[in-house]
Order: sequence, then C-alpha cells, then structure tokens
Amino acid sequence: MDSVFVLNAAHLHLVLNHVPTLGTAVALALLLLALIRRQETLVHVGLEVLFVIAIVTMPVYVTGAAAYAHLRSGAGFSDIAARMHQDAALTGFAVTEFAGFVAWVALWQSRRIGHAGRGLVAAATVLSLIALAIMGRAATLGGEIHHPEIRAAAAAAAAPVTTTDGGEGADIADQFVAGRISQYMVNSTWAWPAAETIHFLGLSLSLGMLLAINLRLLGVMPQVAFADMHRLLPWAMLGFGANLITGMLFFVGQPGQYVDSAPFHWKVIFLLIAGANFLYLTVFKKAWETDGNDARFADKVMAVSSIAAWLIVLVAGRMLPFLGNAF
Amino acid sequence: MLAWLESTSIAVWLGESPSVWAMPTVLTLHTTGMAVLVGASWLLDLRLLGLNKNVPLSNYRWVFSAVAIGLLVNLITGVLLFMKNATSWGTAFPFLVKMLFVVASTATILPIRKYVLNSSVGRDEVTSNLRLLAIASIVAWSAAVTAGRLLAYLVV
Repeated sequence: MDSVFVLNAAHLHLVLNHVPTLGTAVALALLLLALIRRQETLVHVGLEVLFVIAIVTMPVYVTGAAAYAHLRSGAGFSDIAARMHQDAALTGFAVTEFAGFVAWVALWQSRRIGHAGRGLVAAATVLSLIALAIMGRAATLGGEIHHPEIRAAAAAAAAPVTTTDGGEGADIADQFVAGRISQYMVNSTWAWPAAETIHFLGLSLSLGMLLAINLRLLGVMPQVAFADMHRLLPWAMLGFGANLITGMLFFVGQPGQYVDSAPFHWKVIFLLIAGANFLYLTVFKKAWETDGNDARFADKVMAVSSIAAWLIVLVAGRMLPFLGNAF
Repeated sequence: MLAWLESTSIAVWLGESPSVWAMPTVLTLHTTGMAVLVGASWLLDLRLLGLNKNVPLSNYRWVFSAVAIGLLVNLITGVLLFMKNATSWGTAFPFLVKMLFVVASTATILPIRKYVLNSSVGRDEVTSNLRLLAIASIVAWSAAVTAGRLLAYLVV
C-alpha cells in the first residue's frame, strides 16, 4: 500500500538524523552540568532528554533503512558505505535504547524516593557518552554515502570487505551485523515464531499494566493511590522492552516488509505518542498527587490518549500482513 | 464435520474476502481480546503473588469484567478463525495444546474470582493455594499464547 511517507524516506532521514547525536550530546551536557552544580532538577531534565532521544532514535533508524531500500540501486550509491553506516547506526541505536532504559529506571525511582540513585545516573551518563561516540561514527559514515569527495577514507576502511565467493551484492550481507541478523531471522525455523511469541506476551503484559494505570486515572479503583499504580510501570516497561527488541529483530530481519508499509509508519508514529505518555505517567507530579481522589481533567485526557495510542499500535501491527506485506 | 465447518458460507467468506472487515478485523479483535484478557489476568495474578500487597483485593474486581469481555470477544473470533481452518487445525498438535491451556487458564480464574469477590478490607490475606493458582494462571496463559503463535507459523 502506498504511503505518503515513502516518497520522503531519505529526506525524513536527513531531517531526523541529527537527533541522536545532538540530542545525546545535550543530555550528556545536562547530566555533566548537574554533576558539577549538584542540582537534582538538572539530573531530571538530563534523564528525560535521554529517554525522549531513545524514543526518537527509533524513527531515525527506520527511515534510514527505508532510504537505503530506495537508494541502493541508484547510480553513485556505495552499498558498502551504506552497510557500514547501517551497522554503526544499529549498534548506536542499541546503546541509545539501553541508555534510555537506564534513564527511565532512574526517573521512576526518583518519583518514588525523591531523587535518582547515583549509580543509575552515573550509568546513564557513561552510556550516553558511549552512544554519542558510536552515533558520531555512524553519522560520519552516513555522510560518506553520498559525498564521494570524502569517501576515499571509507573505501580504505572497507578494503578488507570483499565478497567471499566472487559473487555480487547479496554475498557481502554476512559480513555485516545487520545482514547476519537478517539471515538468522529468515533462515531459522524457530527464530521468527519465537520472537513473535515473545512479542505477543510482551504486548499482553504492557497492555494489561497500562490499562490498569490509565483506568485508575479515569476513575476505576478510586481508592487506590496513584503511587501504587506507579509501582506497575516497571512491568509495563518489561513488556515494552521485550517488544522493542523482538520488533527490531523483525525489522532488521526483513526491512523490505516494513519500510514501505503504511500500517508500519502509523505504528511508529503512535509508538512515539505512547512513549511520551509513558514518560508522563512516570514523572508527572500532578498525576502523582491524585492520591485517594479524582484525577484532574488533563490527566483523564492523557489516560484516554494513552489507551488509544497503544490500541492503535496494536491494530497497526496486526494489520501489517494485510495492508502492508509482512507475514 | 471439520470439512463441513470449513465449507460453511461464513468460513468461506472469512477465507476469501479481501475486505478489511474479514480476516484483518477478526485477527485484530482476537489479538486485542488476548491482550486485555491475558494482561488483566496477569495483573491480578501478580497482585496475588505480592505486587502491591497493600492495595485491597476488592479494588481488583474490575479485572473480571475485562477478562469476561476479552474471553467473549476471543470465543467468537476464535470460533470464526477455527471454522476457516477447521481441517488443518482440527488435528494440529499446537491447536489442541492451545485449547487445553485456554481451558486450564480460564479454570484458574474461577476460584480466584470467588475469593476476590468475597474479599473485603482487612480480610484479604492470600493463601498459599491462591498463590499456586496465580502461578498456574500465569504459566497457562503464557503457554496458550505461545501455542497460538506457533499455530500461526508452524501449521499451514
């Protein structure tokens, strides 16, 4: 199915691709500044920025894969340079997600006990530094794809990468991380079904927990303190984490199924909204203070949008094989 | 019997209609029903195992409405999906395993429901039997979901 986003995959990637590097740099600067000034508020902002960057990095990776799918056969396009960029981006993406997860744990703890654990903040800081380094390399390699004047360096670095049996194109896939993941996901009898199973279990866990938290905001179980609902968030995060990992295995495994698929684009867009909602439920003071009484109107709007966003993510995912071309 | 089910007009419509209201909608409803049903069950199971111990069990009564809605939706959509694939699923091992675990998980809910509906503030200590039921419920729902996914991928 055609989708308005397909036409602009490469453009969208060019627009978004500065977010991981610049965003992580901002988060890192805030966390370091917080360390020097010893200000808890700065720590919070730094962690929140890191979490948001981790979410936004998802469409950056996805649009990059879409751009690659559309441009790879074009003239003057270096497949090896693109694959090197993709591998660096995939590693950077994984580290960024892990940094975002650690930041989230620190924020969750902070809402409960008033401050984030030192170890967690230190871990988030170090991880954001590593993510920045890898993403910086990915950005450099990405720039070389369409800038032949600086590709000499890439060609030199790529020299050891040769096709194993004299074949063309397809054979070099197994010399790259993304290519090997793809081959494993496609060729293994069990990998895809096993990942699908985890994806559905994760979906149930996340939806069950978020349904409970949002229903509380909407007035079901009015006697239960929001603090007790907040206690459920790590279980929702567990399901979400499992689904991010298995979802990326599907995407890296068969990018061709997703990059041009309209339901997949909607799924990613609503994941961003759902992610913002998740952050709101984790840190927001006003929602937190609705202990033993009715939630504010704004919180109810938030709760409805959260349930709607997660349901749209589910429906769009389920529609992938029908309106898109995934299995 | 299985062949007859598969030849009914509704089974043929489900299998052949290109409409978004046929397979896409039925499968989406089945998945949503699963998430609500399994997620809500797990929420209560985890409470029985000690998550948010201080919250009185009576606050969890809504869970049974969610489970009932999920079960109803999945019973209807599940029957439709079975009719479409009756001859291959009827004898498929993952399908029989799935049904076994769906029945087993639903069976664990009944005693849990009875206990929670009778609970009141100050009278909701969780007995070890109840904890065992909660563990059985978590395991059985996971097994049912797993068998369902394998059914989709391994049985053609």
